[in-house]
Amino acid sequence: MTIDIQHVAKLAKLRLEEDQADRFAKDMENIVSMVQQLPDLPDTGALIDPDHPMIFRGDVVEHHYDRRELLENAPQVKAGCVVVPKVVE
Amino acid sequence: MELFEYTASQLSGMLREKKISAVELTQSVLDRIEAVDDKVKAYLTVTGEEAKKKAAEVDERLARGEDLSPLAGIPLAVKDNICTKNVRTTCASKMLGNFVPPYDATVMKKLERCHPVMVGKVNMDEFAMGSSCETSYFQKTANPRNLDHVPGGSSGGSGAAVAAGEAVLSLGSDTGGSIRLPSAYCGVVGLKPTYSSVSRFGLVAFASSLDQIGPLGRSVEDVAMLYSAICGYDPMDATSAKREYPDFYANLKADVSGKAIGIPEEYFAQGVSEEVQQKVMAAAKVLEGLGATLKTVSLPSTSYALNAYYIISSAEASSNLARFDGVKYGYRTPEYHGLDEMYEKTRSEGFGDEVKRRILLGTFVLSSGFYDAYYKKAKLLQNRIGEEFDHQFESCDLLLTPTAPDTAFRLGENMGDPLKMYAADVCTTTVNIAGLPALSIPCGMAANGLPIGMQLIGPKFSEQTLLNAALAYQQETGCCTVANL
Amino acid sequence: MWNPNYEVVVGLEVHAELNTESKIYCSCKNAFGLEVNSQCCPICMGMPGTLPTLNMQVVEYAIKMGHALHCNIHRICKQDRKNYFYPDLPKSYQISQFDIPLCETGYLDVLVENPDKSTYQKRFGVTRIHIEEDAGKLLHSANIDGSLVDFNRCGVPLIEIVSEPDFRSSAEAHAYLETIKSILQYLDISDCKMEQGSIRADVNVSVRKKGSTEFGTRVEMKNVNSFSAVVRAIDYEAARQIEVLENGGEIFQETRRWDDAKGENVLLRSKEDSQDYRYFPEPDLPTIVLEQDYVDGLKEAIPELPNIKLIRFTQDFGISYDEAQVLLEEPEKCAFFEESVAKKACSPKIICNWMVGDLTKYLREKKLSLADTALTVDSFTALLKMIEDGKISNAAGKQVFEVLLTENADPAKIVEEKGLAQISDDSALQAVVDQVCEANQKSIQDYKNGKTNALGYLTGQCMKATKGKGNPARMKELLLEYLQTH
Repeated sequence: MTIDIQHVAKLAKLRLEEDQADRFAKDMENIVSMVQQLPDLPDTGALIDPDHPMIFRGDVVEHHYDRRELLENAPQVKAGCVVVPKVVE
Repeated sequence: MELFEYTASQLSGMLREKKISAVELTQSVLDRIEAVDDKVKAYLTVTGEEAKKKAAEVDERLARGEDLSPLAGIPLAVKDNICTKNVRTTCASKMLGNFVPPYDATVMKKLERCHPVMVGKVNMDEFAMGSSCETSYFQKTANPRNLDHVPGGSSGGSGAAVAAGEAVLSLGSDTGGSIRLPSAYCGVVGLKPTYSSVSRFGLVAFASSLDQIGPLGRSVEDVAMLYSAICGYDPMDATSAKREYPDFYANLKADVSGKAIGIPEEYFAQGVSEEVQQKVMAAAKVLEGLGATLKTVSLPSTSYALNAYYIISSAEASSNLARFDGVKYGYRTPEYHGLDEMYEKTRSEGFGDEVKRRILLGTFVLSSGFYDAYYKKAKLLQNRIGEEFDHQFESCDLLLTPTAPDTAFRLGENMGDPLKMYAADVCTTTVNIAGLPALSIPCGMAANGLPIGMQLIGPKFSEQTLLNAALAYQQETGCCTVANL
Repeated sequence: MWNPNYEVVVGLEVHAELNTESKIYCSCKNAFGLEVNSQCCPICMGMPGTLPTLNMQVVEYAIKMGHALHCNIHRICKQDRKNYFYPDLPKSYQISQFDIPLCETGYLDVLVENPDKSTYQKRFGVTRIHIEEDAGKLLHSANIDGSLVDFNRCGVPLIEIVSEPDFRSSAEAHAYLETIKSILQYLDISDCKMEQGSIRADVNVSVRKKGSTEFGTRVEMKNVNSFSAVVRAIDYEAARQIEVLENGGEIFQETRRWDDAKGENVLLRSKEDSQDYRYFPEPDLPTIVLEQDYVDGLKEAIPELPNIKLIRFTQDFGISYDEAQVLLEEPEKCAFFEESVAKKACSPKIICNWMVGDLTKYLREKKLSLADTALTVDSFTALLKMIEDGKISNAAGKQVFEVLLTENADPAKIVEEKGLAQISDDSALQAVVDQVCEANQKSIQDYKNGKTNALGYLTGQCMKATKGKGNPARMKELLLEYLQTH
């Protein structure tokens, strides 16, 4: 099977050089062909596990962080906000 | 004997008896790092000043006669994918090269109450993706037992630091063997706990349904001590198990008598070196001599587990690592025009090849039209593998396998050949797929002078049984020592 | 523009923010309009290593809405990740529900008003309701080169209510949306503040030849920001599609962006560029498992909902659609109406007239709610009974009503104190009629010459003479008698 590696890269927001793309495509095809050897198992429906149910959180407000420390790691900050390239909705 | 060579349980006694101070101990380990880390390259960040401060605080507490955890004052290395408040946490990636979390992982919060002394953050494969510690953006860690060889991965820094005496204990994380493989390659003890027994909050996610934080040390006692401190229910992690967690360290006793140990034949097959098979079988005989019974068993889906593992882990990783987009934290490409270019350049420059390879694979298996054929199939297989283990645990208390098919390979030997690299995980991934606990403990040396590890696997939440059996073996065969460097 | 040979087919996806205290997956405050990035934490900002924990209240609110819309509740369900990159989505995936939503296959009975004000009742299918997290907000400023991201809204809980493609006009879609909104408000699970974006709708539109049973190709419209815009957007898109088809063209499955100011839409993306969201089960959140008793208990607690009340009011009480809508605006007002009706002291119609008229006008002018006034069900119905029995005039009733709004008093006493009781005594009224008629011979002449509105003038003069206390109906009868006999 051949994989449209550039389409996958676009979905993943990765940019691949041509030689790199070929190499990754080949690696992936190898892995995928290995995977194709997996046996077919009966489809037991949705992937749920009711034996390990969720423990919920109560609807209680807690606040521990101030804006400064949350934005400390951001590459670009202005007016208390993270700045990104202009987007038009 | 230098202080850094002792085990945590020995040092704990010495500190309490005031034979040594925590400051002296910490200094000994910091000196060792200073002396050998040029060669081993285990550390990404050494927090010497904070460590000395913390050690002084422990000494004061001990002087006041406070009743402290046995971990108090013990020098600890932490894998660099575990968030440490105000201490850089890089995941060995350019992407997070300057990331300083404003929060602690739950394990760090739990440890705060036990007062170990963190001496630094250690190297790993980038985002824990790798089996050799070579995919780190920053440096390649060497195996302290032979510097030409890899320490194993992804928790290579954790394994190497403990083997080299650059830490007494360390924390690693294990998604497909990342604690056990470095333990085996570096000749130390490592425990991959039951999935859900240690909180994942603050562990930078690789594959959420498989990741688990665990301890590495030079003795079974030490591993039990650290595991006891970090396990437990955490309301911040919805996948964490709410149940009673006993004191595994206090309850530890060397005992394997009457235990039925299964030897799964699929783990002693083609691809696993003769030497490894012999050493592990010899260890089985030792356990038999200590009162265990051995029986050959079969786990027929084992050969598929590695594939299922790569599908599931890559799929989850592709989603987990999508947040690294240059917006909120971490690396952002310096030059870009428009949003898409910013995203693509940031991610292409910030991630290494192995990470990209897995993101691409994961993106592909989740993409429209392929989900059922790959991801869903792998998840169904995961259930099957779990059922096969459950079936064996009806008649066995433990399973015994090699940890890795061979000893540590040479640095650079498997780079560029993902399939060969992935083969190193063949014995360990099944355990993550099934969510089971497993422990790796050294079981002798190969002819090349490198350690061989064996893996004990138990049913969910059977850590005490695993630790007790491993301790019995350790008492019979001897504890591991610090590498000569 | 409109072609009667075509029929429009509409489906709606409504997103409503829930008014919980905290966010859906972290303990940050769920609040609108606060300082940028002040209601965030490492979890809702998607920082590495952080994990979500599900707020129980969100599940409860969604189940309530599910019951209100007669859905099956999946007491075992899961959450999934919807993967896409956008700066307002910190994790680059939205936690939502894909193949097992919390609620499925329900319906909603809605009263729809025709252009001629007549109404009809129609049942619209509800495909599903699921829970998910909201994204942040992008802010734009002319003097900043770039967009700013405010993460406050990240993790605000949402329910998405997906309808069947059951609407055949923009009016039906509008009536459905108004009904959904009133139910959310009755259940007190959403503020439904359109201007704050707390309720939003995506609109799917297709057209087909009348009589056809096959659906046409549907077009999804985004950015439809008010219910009135929904009407405009549907009408525009239906007309656009009909025009394309009539000119021999083809409709493509695509997403278009509605521009309400310009009153038109533009292509946002075609099917080929449609996003591949790569849904998969959220590994950080275990399966949701709810006790049957718990789910059933929530159903029992659901009150009669405004859509059902609307149908009942119009059918049982002879109240118009518009009047009923006013009564249903606020649960408090509606309860007052129903309690007043239950007194059986006066007709539902007069209660409605006074509530929709004088009472609503007063509350709006003073910007008050019903509870801010002194009016009680007892005083209100006693007053209306006096009017219906002819004991006081409508005009006198208004005077009493004004008093009752500010003080809790017995309306009969007020009537007595103010001397507002109506004169119904024939001999007293006859004297007034005789007197007025004698003084207005010209009007009598006019009436006899066919100017019937002279009667109104004479009645007015009689009322004036009694200072408004004369029973107008009886007075009119006596006047007519006089005119016939003189």
